[in-house]
Parts: sequence; C-alpha cells; structure tokens
Amino acid sequence: MDQLTNVLTAISHPTRRAIIEKLARGPARFLEIAEPFDVALNAVTKHLKLLERAGLIEREKQGREVHISLRPEPLRQVASWVHEYEQFWNERLDQFEDYFKHQQLKEKSLKKGKKNPKEIKT
Amino acid sequence: MSNSNRTIEVRIERTIPASSGAVFDGWLDPKVPGNPWNMADKLLLNPIVDGFFYWTTERTPHYGRFTEVNRPSRIEHTWMSPNTSGLESNVTVTFQQKGEDTLMTLVHAGLPDTDGGRSHNGGWNYFLDKLLDHFESGTKNQH
Repeated sequence: MDQLTNVLTAISHPTRRAIIEKLARGPARFLEIAEPFDVALNAVTKHLKLLERAGLIEREKQGREVHISLRPEPLRQVASWVHEYEQFWNERLDQFEDYFKHQQLKEKSLKKGKKNPKEIKT
Repeated sequence: MSNSNRTIEVRIERTIPASSGAVFDGWLDPKVPGNPWNMADKLLLNPIVDGFFYWTTERTPHYGRFTEVNRPSRIEHTWMSPNTSGLESNVTVTFQQKGEDTLMTLVHAGLPDTDGGRSHNGGWNYFLDKLLDHFESGTKNQH
C-alpha cells in the first residue's frame, strides 16, 4: 500500500478520527488517549498502530512516559486529492452548464427568428 | 472494495436548462464540452454496464468501468488515474428533472468508511478541512 492509501485507511474510522482530533489539541499519553473510548485498550493500540503506519502520529519517550503527538503533514496529501478533484469537476460542470445555456439561447433566438416574419405579414 | 460505503467524496450540483434525457445524453457525448470525455486526446468509450472507458489528456491516462447506465436518471462508473494512487474511485452522476431544468449531481467518492452508520454526511471533508484549518492557523501563529 502506498502512503496515500495508508492515510486514507487510517482516517476512515471514526475512532481514529476522534484520536486525531484529540491529538490536534496537543500530545497525550496512551491512557489519556484511550480514556474517552468505550473499547478495549487492545483496540486502541491497533488504532494507534494504523495511525503510526500512516505517519500521522509519533511517539516520544520522556523519562518513563511515552507521549504521542500528531503529525498533520500526511493529511494535506488527502486534502489535496479532494481539492484537486473538486476543482476538476467544478471546471467540467461549469463548461457543461454553459453549453446547455448557450443551446437554450440559440433555440430561443431561432424561435424569435421564426416568429418575426409572421409578425411582419400581419 | 465495495462501492457502497464510500465517504471521502467530492459532491457537486448544477441545474442544467434542459430535460434530463438531453442532459444524460450530453454527459455521454464526447462532442459536448464539459463532460470528461470531451477533453480526451485519445478516447475509448463504451457506456454500457461493464463497458470500459479509457482516455488520456496531456499523457495522463484515466480508466474505468461503467457499473450503472440508467437513462435518463443515473450513470455510475469506476475511475482510476494517477491521481487516485491505485485506488478504484467511484463516480456517480444523477439527473433529476425539475420542471424544465435538470438537477445534476456528481459524486466522486474514493474510500470505504468503516463507520457503518455514517450519520455524518460529508464527514471526511469536514474533518479534513477542520484539521487543516487548525494546523494552518497554528503554522501562521508560529511565524
């Protein structure tokens, strides 16, 4: 799996998104991270491993404690994926809409053109 | 990878001044500007269920397989390009007649969510935008 896939997988689960949101407020210890979740500590460990594999968190040993902090850079990759496609499809659909608007104007002017000769006769 | 539970997505709506049949046909006609096929330098397009498309623009290849072609209401196909990094993303276009116009909705979705309920529509984008805003303002504050 490439890095983007790892990041997408990592942020695809609501618990992992909640962990990221918590860590966005600052580094935390394992138990502080696990506390709000009603899941086994094992499950939290697995979630953290997936976040680590995606490069989204790093662990730093401070004395006897391990502090876990967020590395947001990989998220930019995902955001750029989304924004690139947003731009691409918006540009496409703008052109598509313009085409039909233009067609509508052409039809209207054709109808007017047909009406005019009659108006002259009467 | 199932196509059903994808949440990271781009959703765009447009109101097109034409019937849903005309808009549907326009979306599949390479001569109509704005659809993806129109910008192709090289195009192979077979818009039937299990039909494939291949197109390149500026040497960037795009591939996909049509999974639903239901005139005049819905087109669905997979989408792979260098931008999807090996992921088979999914494009769904729906056409809803609204009076004389057609509401066209395009959803480009890329990844299954393990959250079965998915009560939060657009959760991904909200999540990404919120976090990145947070970090961008954090970076700005550092300078």
